[in-house]
Amino acid sequence: MSFVASVRLTEILLALALIQQSLEHMAGPRRDRATYAVRIALCALVVSGLASPWPLVGLALLSLVILERFQGPYNGGSDRMGLLSLWCVTLAHLLPDARWQHLAFGYLGAQLTLSYFISGAVKVVNPEWRDGRALRDVFRFSAYPVSEGLRAWADRPRVLLAMSWAVMLFELAFPLTLLWRPALIGGLVVAGLFHLANACLFGLNRFFWTWLSVYPAILWLQAQVGRL
Amino acid sequence: MQPLRLLLPALIPSWNFFDVIAPSPRVEYALLGAETAPPEDWREFRPRPARVSLVTMARRLLWNPQWNESLFLVSCAERLIDQPTDHSEAEILSRIAADLAGDPDAPPWLAFRLTFVRREGEALIREVLFQSAPRRREALVR
Repeated sequence: MSFVASVRLTEILLALALIQQSLEHMAGPRRDRATYAVRIALCALVVSGLASPWPLVGLALLSLVILERFQGPYNGGSDRMGLLSLWCVTLAHLLPDARWQHLAFGYLGAQLTLSYFISGAVKVVNPEWRDGRALRDVFRFSAYPVSEGLRAWADRPRVLLAMSWAVMLFELAFPLTLLWRPALIGGLVVAGLFHLANACLFGLNRFFWTWLSVYPAILWLQAQVGRL
Repeated sequence: MQPLRLLLPALIPSWNFFDVIAPSPRVEYALLGAETAPPEDWREFRPRPARVSLVTMARRLLWNPQWNESLFLVSCAERLIDQPTDHSEAEILSRIAADLAGDPDAPPWLAFRLTFVRREGEALIREVLFQSAPRRREALVR
């Protein structure tokens, strides 16, 4: 896929993810609805391709208003990835030189890779992750399991030990998938299933859509790595 | 400058998801007949259901506003302990008040507290680390 097509696909998927989030906010406090109505309109313009790149610029500026409103990201990591993607794609349009545009978009793909690798690295140095206790704690008392029934998983230490190592090894190995396109595609399928499981078990639906929306950036980056 | 300061961690992210399993906050609220009444009947705000079906899980992929709002309140609760601000307290109060707005006969004063759950050995320890002053529910507009 060309640079232009990859950027275009990323911005469309990101806009759709932001529309999903914005619709959820429209069901929230009345004072936020005008902000998110504007965001939905700007996202629709991004999807349609009209007036490009100015709707992206508008979304980037609006993201500052929303950060101020909630004194930070509303939903932690998923919003951070959405912000990163939005600003990288916007810069990929606005920067005057093609090399800088490629750098901005490549940075997004690189950060996606790092999002897995660093998550694995910080876990594997923690003995409680290595013996499965950390994942037991996630199920036993963290705020994330969507039902009380899921807390019973904490009583399955062997299963959680296996899951802990599966997650850590996958996250640590993910950068190697950049070396071979079929491996990357397989890695992204596994990662997508991982995000799907997190969405079902922990209610992290925003992670699912936001991370998937960045996949074109890493596919483009891998093609550049393959040319080296 | 404040929004740019908030943007920076997104542009240079750390990605240290779940590196340690920190004490986990629970938001609990009490309704009071008067501002000076001692809060006694603490109830968990939005307790999770016993079970969630696969159909509901699938639906929540596209529509999960209340859960995402609850996760935002977890962030507010953690901020209230780490770097207390009126903003975090107001966000929690206003959302509890909004959920209770359907019951106009409920007592008019509202307070909340944050109970943090952590593991020590094999035991789970619950500790109250914050309690708000009572606020009149009708004043907590969304």
